[in-house]
Amino acid sequence: MADYKAPLQEIRFVMNEVFDAPALWASMPRLAERVDPDTADAIIEEAGKVTTNVLAPLNREGDEQGCKWDNGNVTTPDGFREAYQTIVEGGWNGLGGNPEFDGMGMPKTLVVQFEEMMQAANMALGLAPMLTAGACLALDAHGSQELKQKYLPNLYSGVWSGSMDLTEPHCGTDLGIMRTKAVPQEDGSYSLSGTKIFITWGEHDMAENIIHFVLAKLPDAPKGPKGISLFLVPKFLVNDDGSLGERNAFSCGSIEKKMGIKGSATCVMNFDGARGWLVGEENKGLAAMFTMMNYERLGVGIQGLGAAEASLQSAREYAFERLQSRAPTGPQNPDKAADPLIVHPDVRRMILTMKAYVEGGRAFSTYCGQWLDIAKFTDDDSHRKQAEGMVALLTPVAKAFLTDRGLDVCVIGQQVFGGHGYIREWGQEQLVRDARICQIYEGANGIQALDLMGRKVVGSQGALFELFAEDMSAFIEKEQGNPALKPFLEPLAASLERLSDVTEHVLEQAQTDPNAPGAASVDYTDLFGLTALAYMWAKIVVAAAPKAENDTSGFYTGKLKTARFYYDRLLPKTVSLAEGIRSGSESLMRHAANEF
Amino acid sequence: MPEYKAPLRDIKFVMNELLNSEQHYASLQNAEDATPDMVDAIVQEGAKFCEQVLSPLNQVGDREGCTWSEDGVKTPTGFKEAYQQYVEGGWPSMTSDTEYGGQGLPSSVGIVMSEMVGTANWSWGMYPGLSHGAMNTLEAHGTEEQKQTYLTKLISGEWTGTMCLTEPHCGSDLGTLRTRAEPNSDGTYSITGTKIFISAGEHDMAENIVHIVLARLPGAPEGTKGISLFIVPKRLPDEDGSAGERNAVSCGSLEHKMGIHGNATCVMNFDGARGWLIGPENRGLNCMFTFMNTARIGTAIQGLGAAELGFQGSLAYAKERLAMRSLSGPKNPDGPADPIIVHPDVRRMLLTQKAVAEGARAMIYLAAQQSDIVVRGKTEEERQAADAMLGFLTPIAKAFLTEIGYESANLGMQVFGGHGFISEWGMEQNVRDARIGTIYEGTTGIQALDLLGRKVLMSQGEALKQFTKVVHVFCKENADNEQLREFIEPLQTLNREWGEITMKLGMTAMQNREEVGAAAVDYLMYSGYAVFAYLWARSAKVALDAMVEGTSEEAFYDAKIQTARFYFKRMLPRTRTHVETMFAGADTLLGLPEEHFAF
Repeated sequence: MADYKAPLQEIRFVMNEVFDAPALWASMPRLAERVDPDTADAIIEEAGKVTTNVLAPLNREGDEQGCKWDNGNVTTPDGFREAYQTIVEGGWNGLGGNPEFDGMGMPKTLVVQFEEMMQAANMALGLAPMLTAGACLALDAHGSQELKQKYLPNLYSGVWSGSMDLTEPHCGTDLGIMRTKAVPQEDGSYSLSGTKIFITWGEHDMAENIIHFVLAKLPDAPKGPKGISLFLVPKFLVNDDGSLGERNAFSCGSIEKKMGIKGSATCVMNFDGARGWLVGEENKGLAAMFTMMNYERLGVGIQGLGAAEASLQSAREYAFERLQSRAPTGPQNPDKAADPLIVHPDVRRMILTMKAYVEGGRAFSTYCGQWLDIAKFTDDDSHRKQAEGMVALLTPVAKAFLTDRGLDVCVIGQQVFGGHGYIREWGQEQLVRDARICQIYEGANGIQALDLMGRKVVGSQGALFELFAEDMSAFIEKEQGNPALKPFLEPLAASLERLSDVTEHVLEQAQTDPNAPGAASVDYTDLFGLTALAYMWAKIVVAAAPKAENDTSGFYTGKLKTARFYYDRLLPKTVSLAEGIRSGSESLMRHAANEF
Repeated sequence: MPEYKAPLRDIKFVMNELLNSEQHYASLQNAEDATPDMVDAIVQEGAKFCEQVLSPLNQVGDREGCTWSEDGVKTPTGFKEAYQQYVEGGWPSMTSDTEYGGQGLPSSVGIVMSEMVGTANWSWGMYPGLSHGAMNTLEAHGTEEQKQTYLTKLISGEWTGTMCLTEPHCGSDLGTLRTRAEPNSDGTYSITGTKIFISAGEHDMAENIVHIVLARLPGAPEGTKGISLFIVPKRLPDEDGSAGERNAVSCGSLEHKMGIHGNATCVMNFDGARGWLIGPENRGLNCMFTFMNTARIGTAIQGLGAAELGFQGSLAYAKERLAMRSLSGPKNPDGPADPIIVHPDVRRMLLTQKAVAEGARAMIYLAAQQSDIVVRGKTEEERQAADAMLGFLTPIAKAFLTEIGYESANLGMQVFGGHGFISEWGMEQNVRDARIGTIYEGTTGIQALDLLGRKVLMSQGEALKQFTKVVHVFCKENADNEQLREFIEPLQTLNREWGEITMKLGMTAMQNREEVGAAAVDYLMYSGYAVFAYLWARSAKVALDAMVEGTSEEAFYDAKIQTARFYFKRMLPRTRTHVETMFAGADTLLGLPEEHFAF
């Protein structure tokens, strides 16, 4: 197993050269005062060190040991406590947090880079800061000033960690039917009772306090999703002076035995009249959750990307070291018994597929980060509107496409290892098991696809899609005279046209067939993601081409060749997807239940 | 954990209605016992054993795994007893030579049992499954004495067998293997070396284990032409044939792996172990190839099993789990939500699994019929034709089915949402177990090279033509059937294209040998979808005929047609991508210099 090394050159290339993030930051006053290129670079450098030296070495042992439950307490794997402490000392939990409450206020274009490194190094542990940051977003956006002052600084510092409690045994996707109850108390607090499952890092020994954000129903709340409220429920009650008081009335009933991310605790949480405080308005809990959803879902997409990067690093190293059979055109390594795997065309196909998805995926996550930054920091109303629309549209793609490709890449990375890929000590199979959850949680990818196709595309009558199409068209227009892009622009325009045609087709179908969006959704998300990645690779070419001319390192010429590979070998998947979508919903809906 | 139910109705459909096994068995020699009633009784009995004995042990095996100690390997609770029942039931001997205690049934009957065993409990099934490799070797290449000594015990199931090929530094490239065999004065050999990834290499289920070991004789030529085969029993047979003193072979450790925990994956150390040469010197790899096809079809079953098990589990869940309302209005108005089977995307996941499982069954049974003919065909011509057809279908079945079987297992897990990730539901185990399928017995990449390089291009396309001719005849026969048009037309187009792309690849390969490796996996996957298209079109025809004739099983046959339609509309378009990418050229793969892969 190759030890994970944060790919700093790649990350800097995407952030600075492909997207010129420093120029973006400088263009928005509220960001310009907080971050400059030197600060950002120092953060990237330090993030590389922490993730490479502290988090990555614990990854495999975390998988082997897992978390242990004993009478309500959860013990984390060896070294996790200390590593989490390092994260606290570095202030990493609050990297993107609100400075008013001691967050660092860094832009998402930078934060996504840290997130990728953290998730690549150790996804199980990385979930704790990720969920804490998500909880902070909800609290910051909807909590009262009092709640924010009391909880945010310690959450940003990581002295306390956060946890999101949504799912119940009978409901995950369909939260409208949840049963956990919140009864108002005389002092303005609420008493919460019910059972929540799949609560990641719901209980552990790494932080002094754990702040749960719990969805529950008030007495007489309307039925369905419009009757859900959000509550802050601390493990230890917090006194007015900020010190920790008595233990709240809830506990971890058990932890799940699961396929992967074993270093993290997946908890059953039992609330028995626990004291909680309302966050935001009554019955608006789901809406409050949605404010953090865009960040959280991109974060899960980045988990897929991170796992893929880790798998790529190992597979690439193995392909260069492992000697097996001769190249079809004659021995390349005549002094040895066989040639390294990398000489074989099909092994190259596997490695390049991984590389194209990982590097294209990194650009895509940064692209999403860019729109999140604009949405949050611009002072220009129309620009903000555009950015908000883009974020809404791109978020489900980032979550589903990056995690679907993330798993694919990890499976390929395992395949490169042959039989050794199946053996635990090499680490490749762990990445597959870990990455697998990303397709499921934070809204299964089928749900993301419905969100994209139904709510975003059809729901806006195609208006949101137009934003993306316009952005791509503008790029194509602008680069017409760029000789480096010559081989790419035509297929790029064709793939945009294909996506636009299919979009129109589904919009039309949806008018008469309510099942049309659901029948198209997953293929559509793939099609969208592949087209977006073609766009990303074209952007990469724009950045790399001028430097490729005198490039002896191979870094920039390699980018051009990988772009070529992506266009010739991966983008053609869009052809099949478009055909499948056009077949409509009939072939899915005609089976009666007894005909399966 | 999904409780496995043998899909008997579909098994019968494929055997009797689609592949007309009655006529098939009647056309063979020495297959008189394979009457429809007999086969049916065997399948019924086998289904009971798999459902009641093996299926309940599947999760136990995963949880407990095998444990290693100085004294040997202990298998999970219940495995040994289940094996005892299996032996008592006479299952190991079903398809073996009657001369050595077998029941002499055609191997396609055994394949049905292998499917049920493998779906119910793949890890367990590998123990008797691996014996088949050893049996085949002995049957084809052993001396009479070797057969009497070893084959009879393997056939009765008293002993099990293994194949010892891989070494730490070589798996795909066996030419570089290092295990040595020194001749002894008594005609035996002394075997020394280390083998890894030996499935069922050591266990407590049988009193002896017969290892078939690849090793090099002193002075043997380098590479693949210097490898010989040896029989190395764990215990040396006594005069009376019973397992005697311990041989110098032992299991050094077990691998910790992603799945198939119930099966022992062993490091085997040979320290001057006594062995017997089997087959001619230095011809070991050739000897192995004589039954490679059979072994690989055995692995292809894992893809079928993974799809079937995932399908059964997720279908039951999709009918029970309530979440959200149907997009066209509530279907379960009295409940708090509709069952998730109403949602189009859940249906997409279920139907993909169904199309894969049933298509895989058809493909595997079809290949198994060919292997029947190879052994029992009445004329040499028939036998040779079947051998070529089997050689063509084998890499497709092995690689394509394990790839889409794995995809299906993942879909089965996805239907369960978060519960799919939790061990107790069994779906994530199915994914972990299935993952090995695309790796062992020759990875997908190796199978693809075998198909395109060795089978198709080396035969100047003959291997393919033999199959496309069958498809062509089928299309022609049904050209006038209006109701089948939606299947026949695209199938005919595809069949023509299959020939064209093969010819085109042959031409480019003459210019640049790298093109074969660069196109191989796409070509294999394309071929898999094409074979499926043929089998689904044929299934639709059989179903349609039955409905025209009148049937009490309307729903069953209608489902066949609907699933065929789903396959053609939703899965077959994948071939468009493969056509395009297989002609993307080797340049896109070879253009990047090695030192520029990473920075």
